[in-house]
Amino acid sequence: MKKKWVLFLALVIALFTGAMMTGTTAQAASDDSLAQVQKKGTLVMGTSPDYPPYEFQATVHGKTKVVGMDVAVGEKIAKDLGVKLEVKSMSFDSLLVALQTGKVDMVISGMNPTPARKKNVDFTHTYYQGGYSIVINKADKGIYKNKDSFKGKTIGAQTGSTMYNESKKQTTDTTVKGMTSVSDLILGLQSHKLQGVAMEKPSAEAYVSNNKELASIPSDFDLSASDTSASAAFKKGSTSLVNAANKSVDQIKNQNLVNKDYLPAAGKYLKTNTVNTSMLHYWKAFLKGVEYTLIITVCSVFFGFILGVLLALARMAQGGPLMTGLRWLATAYVEFIRGTPMMVQVMFVYFGLGLVVNLPALMSGIIAISLNSGAYVAEYIRGGINSVDKGQTEAARSLGMSRGYTMRYVVLPQALKNIWPSLGNEFITLIKDSSIVSIIGVSELIFQSNIVRSDTYRGVAPIAVIMVLYFILTFTASRILNFFERRMQHD
Amino acid sequence: MTKPIIEVKSLAKNFGDNVVLKDITEQVDPGQVIVVIGPSGGGKSTFLRCLNLLETPTSGEVDFNGENLTTLDPKRVNELREQMGMVFQNFNLFPNMTVLENIKLAPMKVKAVDDAAATKRAHELLKQVNLDDHADAFPSSLSGGQAQRVAIARALAMDPKVMLFDEPTSALDPEMVGEVLNVMKELANQGMTMVVVTHEMGFAKSVADRVWFMADGFIQENNTPESFFSDPQTERAQDFLSKILM
Repeated sequence: MKKKWVLFLALVIALFTGAMMTGTTAQAASDDSLAQVQKKGTLVMGTSPDYPPYEFQATVHGKTKVVGMDVAVGEKIAKDLGVKLEVKSMSFDSLLVALQTGKVDMVISGMNPTPARKKNVDFTHTYYQGGYSIVINKADKGIYKNKDSFKGKTIGAQTGSTMYNESKKQTTDTTVKGMTSVSDLILGLQSHKLQGVAMEKPSAEAYVSNNKELASIPSDFDLSASDTSASAAFKKGSTSLVNAANKSVDQIKNQNLVNKDYLPAAGKYLKTNTVNTSMLHYWKAFLKGVEYTLIITVCSVFFGFILGVLLALARMAQGGPLMTGLRWLATAYVEFIRGTPMMVQVMFVYFGLGLVVNLPALMSGIIAISLNSGAYVAEYIRGGINSVDKGQTEAARSLGMSRGYTMRYVVLPQALKNIWPSLGNEFITLIKDSSIVSIIGVSELIFQSNIVRSDTYRGVAPIAVIMVLYFILTFTASRILNFFERRMQHD
Repeated sequence: MTKPIIEVKSLAKNFGDNVVLKDITEQVDPGQVIVVIGPSGGGKSTFLRCLNLLETPTSGEVDFNGENLTTLDPKRVNELREQMGMVFQNFNLFPNMTVLENIKLAPMKVKAVDDAAATKRAHELLKQVNLDDHADAFPSSLSGGQAQRVAIARALAMDPKVMLFDEPTSALDPEMVGEVLNVMKELANQGMTMVVVTHEMGFAKSVADRVWFMADGFIQENNTPESFFSDPQTERAQDFLSKILM
């Protein structure tokens, strides 16, 4: 047993070292970043679209798209390079990883070029010099003046952002709470879990002007220029691309394009966004979420089931060293998948495999969830096969049926019936677990609800809507499964 | 002299340290009905299951029509198994299929018989075992006697040359034993080669051509039913017969 365990560990280590090596070689390659982008014809920009007016989702001609001043900056850079801009949404935490693994060519997301970040990526010149504000509830306006008024209180900031780090450093006796999305922070503020939210000045102003319950106060943080300025980030070592982008950024700065054009344009989108904040108005966004949730679930159940059957058969393989090896591999796979979080698997497939093949987020999500589900389904099926009486196999074999036919026509159909409730459970779990792929930016229900939340500045209603939608999905699924279960009852 | 259809040569079988069969050498001629009797735990079922390789012999050989099963590749073994129907103590019908589907499955999947022909043959066999009115029933709705007759029909659907019966009436209520034995008798009358492991002495007396008395992993006595029951040669057989009610 012990020997097996050591072997297994060695395999895992080998796998990860392999992944690291690919990483280093990719970085050491000579700088042809500009030529590559121009050859591709597209510049892929990563951003976290819940930070108006920098970047946010708006409905334009019935379609949701990412807009805001950062997108305008991205478009200007792409145009000057003579390529098309493609915007990819993901959580702020994932942006730099996506840049390093080549999922995106450039990150513009109100990001400050801090020294720590500069170690990992290259920044352009600054395109915008902002400052920090703290958003508070309007009712508290007399109580809080600046960062120092929050002694014994809690303020929030976006996880991984400069505001978060500076809030921690520059306040005393104040709890700083980090959350991934600004909409969640605002919700925390309105439900009095937080007393203030630190964010960039333009964002604060956007929130305040769209929500009468909120007010903004100056932060009075002591900040260096790099903490308040926003730059575009590129992969470390892509000097030619950074230089080209700098030409555009300098133009933006010299002609004051952000204040003159980009911010007013973003403001217009914000207005159209908040004209109608009823959930019904966003039915298309929710429908899209349902659609993607279903696509992910159905595909993952299908491939997961096939993988599960193969793994179950491999785990029960008997015979020579080849079969033993197969059995061992399948067992190791099942143990490894069951022993690691699905969220990590999703990120590993998207970012990790991304080093080798560039898979779209949706496909990565389906692959990761299928791989995960297969391991669980394999165990159900193995149990199901073992639950079929040995006499069934003997009867089939005595009739001249081969091992394979016996499995396919006699054992598996009965096993399937025995494990149907467990499989149904897995299916319903997958409907809910598919929400994990929102972290890599697949527009399933959770992701869509976050967009609606940041669009409408309403915190709770979208959550209630998707709660009901999830329940409708799972309840319908369980009714359908029960129907088939009844049909299989013969004894 | 006819060529034997089954020849067993120096057959032995152990389960770990437990020696179940020790050096058995016998043969079955075409058309013969062999009844294997003996005390429980004497290796009767294991012996029968070695004949179609449901159990792999530890040593020795089992020849079917001159081919040594123990040395053949799995594919050829499957082909030869088609020619040896087997009926089990617990019927082992497929519970998720109707009676008709139970019978049709192997001919259609293994012999690629088309659906119409397989259905026709299945109905013939069901008539033969007096169950044609139950063609669309599921096994769970059948009595033990009916289920065992379906199992016999299912085995016959592959047109076997030999039928192996492993205590076919042991799991049945007493009033159902007769209907199964009648079907088996009829089959014997039609000239089917049969090897039957059973505790039904009446059946052995009236139907068997040879009685093999098996105990302690050996065939202790191979005799005609008449002389076996009236004048057993071995002490072991005398002891066995004295203990059962006749």
